[in-house]
Amino acid sequence: MRYQDLLKILGVAVVLGLLVSACAGAAIPTPPKENVAIYAHTTTFPDIDPSISFSNDSAVTSNAYETLVWYNPPGSEELLSPGLATSWESNEDATEWTFDLRQGIKFHDGTDFNAEAVKYSVERTMGMGMGASYIWDAVEEVEVVDDYTARFKLSYPAPLDLIAASGYGAWIMSPTCTEAHDSAWLNEGHDCGSGPYMIESYERGQRLVMTRFDDYWGGWKEGQFDKVVFDIVEDPTVRQQMIEAGEADVTYELPRENLEALDAREDATVYTNPSFQNLLGLLNHKKPPLDNKLVRQAISYAFPYEDLIKSVMKGYAVQAYGPVPTGMWGYSDDLFQYRYDLEKAKELLAEAGYPNGGFKLVMTYATGDMDEAQVGELWKAELAKLGIELEVRGMSWEPQWDLAKSDPAVAQDILVFYWWPDVVSPYSFLRGMFHCEEEILFNLGYLCNPELDEIMDRANELSGSDRAEAERLFIEAQKILIENADAVFFYDVNNTHVLRSDIKGYVDNPAYPHVVFFYKLSR
Amino acid sequence: MRRWAYVVRRLALAALVLLSVSVITFFISRVVPSDPAAKWVGPRPTKEQIAQARVKLGLDKPLYVQYLGYMGDLLHGDFGVSVRTHQPIIRDLQTYLPATLELVGVGTIMAVVIGIPLGVFSGAKKNSLLDHLSRLLAIAGVSMPTFWMGLLLQLFFFGKLGILPLGSRVDNAITLYHPVQQITGFYLIDSLVTGNLPAFRNSLVHIILPAFTLATYAIGLTIRMTRSTMIEVLEEGYITAARAAGIPERTILFRLALKNAIIPTLTVLALSFVYSLTGAILVEVIFSWPGLGSYVTEAILSVDFPAIMAVTLVVTVFYVFINLFMDLWQAFLDPRITLG
Repeated sequence: MRYQDLLKILGVAVVLGLLVSACAGAAIPTPPKENVAIYAHTTTFPDIDPSISFSNDSAVTSNAYETLVWYNPPGSEELLSPGLATSWESNEDATEWTFDLRQGIKFHDGTDFNAEAVKYSVERTMGMGMGASYIWDAVEEVEVVDDYTARFKLSYPAPLDLIAASGYGAWIMSPTCTEAHDSAWLNEGHDCGSGPYMIESYERGQRLVMTRFDDYWGGWKEGQFDKVVFDIVEDPTVRQQMIEAGEADVTYELPRENLEALDAREDATVYTNPSFQNLLGLLNHKKPPLDNKLVRQAISYAFPYEDLIKSVMKGYAVQAYGPVPTGMWGYSDDLFQYRYDLEKAKELLAEAGYPNGGFKLVMTYATGDMDEAQVGELWKAELAKLGIELEVRGMSWEPQWDLAKSDPAVAQDILVFYWWPDVVSPYSFLRGMFHCEEEILFNLGYLCNPELDEIMDRANELSGSDRAEAERLFIEAQKILIENADAVFFYDVNNTHVLRSDIKGYVDNPAYPHVVFFYKLSR
Repeated sequence: MRRWAYVVRRLALAALVLLSVSVITFFISRVVPSDPAAKWVGPRPTKEQIAQARVKLGLDKPLYVQYLGYMGDLLHGDFGVSVRTHQPIIRDLQTYLPATLELVGVGTIMAVVIGIPLGVFSGAKKNSLLDHLSRLLAIAGVSMPTFWMGLLLQLFFFGKLGILPLGSRVDNAITLYHPVQQITGFYLIDSLVTGNLPAFRNSLVHIILPAFTLATYAIGLTIRMTRSTMIEVLEEGYITAARAAGIPERTILFRLALKNAIIPTLTVLALSFVYSLTGAILVEVIFSWPGLGSYVTEAILSVDFPAIMAVTLVVTVFYVFINLFMDLWQAFLDPRITLG
């Protein structure tokens, strides 16, 4: 009896197995020869409305929409290149900007691109007041001079060319299309752009499909992609398996230890380069002992920078020179860089009145981020040698920010987080984290140095009209920050993207994080 | 009559439960440190943007006014708008809930189809080879961590054998060339109903690994519970009498004995089903399955309180109704059980 039962169960299992393999083996009938690119993306897209999008959804918007101007990857001859605008100029003090627009461009809905569309797009973004709409704060009026000339009148000087090149909030959309539909419609899987690809379908949390816009003004060549599929895959192991099996063509954020082996494969290539994102530790200027410059300098000397970059980041980072990241204008490797030097740290501590340390510091970081956790652990070990106790506290962003915005006297001593630019300018870093703030937003070190503020504000005013002088001033500002050790500048993060080797033309542009401009690729 | 009175009373209690859950969740999510107005605006909000958002979201009103407003909208079927995505939550629920129900449903079916027969035969043939193997399977199913099991299955069936896919609900090719028409949101049903055979085959193949991974715990549970209740039942006098009367063993096992033995197992399975609605998060992440678990986790991490509320209420509804259903069914199966 029991053998019969066993046989029955085995039989069922075999039948099921056959069924499964038959099903799996059955080829899916597909139309002939379409060139499809698959991007295994790590997160869902919160909001793909171009006026609101301010997150990883730029991976999608950058292919469906275009800006007036594009920021070029570091190492390019020019800082900016023409996008929907062919040329631009400002008046002497950068309070008036005129853009000459490209002619003969159509939006995906068939309507023409013109100055009216530019005015509409900027006004819509400003009006909605969400996401990165604040980048247009200086704009008082957008004038339609004629069909292909748009003039921006500003209430104060601003680098509008840089602003118009932002990867967030600077997208130009079709007025007809956007008027006829609302934000919810866009998020169901549609777009109102002029870019090379159109959104075809969107299964929230799963997959977004884009298809070629045949009438794209740039024209199409052999080998370019017909369709682009964004697959949302949260697990890094699964993403890696997809790349290895050829089920994905592009991905990023894979475990660092596996990158070397991946690159060694014939069918995969790892592209790595510095990004515009860096990791900093903002120091509490309103609570002893970090209100003392000497103590801040001391702990800056106590951090093992090289060790971290070599052993934790495995070389996929570079030590920061101040708050402006590698490769961005305003960056300078002439600036002073703190090095790991416990002797120097001891000296400074003694000078400050803490010869044997004897105090405790609380460092908060984003829970789950292993890199930040390691930063804390390494630092803790070194500070212990100086008699300083470091409590490394992982917190979710919401409570972490909430704590930091509360009374500085009870807030954290050190807040570790990443910064990345909205508008590609040193001002984003400086204004964001180091400018006097009455109501604290992101100046989570509570620094207030009027001299510094004056320099950075002046530099920003000049960034439109005299970029060279602006750069000089930004470097001045950074010198002050570094000298005062107002923050610990850990490292500039590297972007690493992994692509299948048969894909040509990929160049990472850190101004648009993790954006793959599929129009530029071919297989 | 008694039964209907019972049902009405249970439904009234259910409404009370839902109300209490909504109050508790609402007030907890407002007490937790966060800034929903800032979250609404985006990752880099300015002071002005936050102030505007605060008014727009009604966060400047007193807490009880906000609560009443929320409940009012809820009664119209409006779950509110997600603070993180600015999209109506009902849309998200329409995407994630069917996906989860499909996954957990198929998993539960697997647990029933595999677990119950194995449990029955295990109990009937105590200490046989089959019994030992089943018990081993049961222990393994209950003790192995789900995510590890999932990764192993992926490695084996996708990596080594290449016969099952890595994850997601359907292949890219299906989305591109044979898209599933969304009727119920259950790909298996929708594709079958619209005659989309390639999509049906593909969804079936895609659901096997994640559903099985999810089911391993339930299978283990089912085997053990069925086995022990069967052993008890099979020792009853009427079973011996039935055997003496010459009734075939199969009928005795599955018609007489199982009917009495199955009640505790089904209750546990039902609870396991509802738990997995959000508890399947690890399986969802590994198999890139767009489920309620991942959705609510993201909501919790960003303190997206409308979304958290919505999912909590939906899951509560499921708990309440499944419990009610199980109680009614038990009474149906076993006339000795009196309701109320």
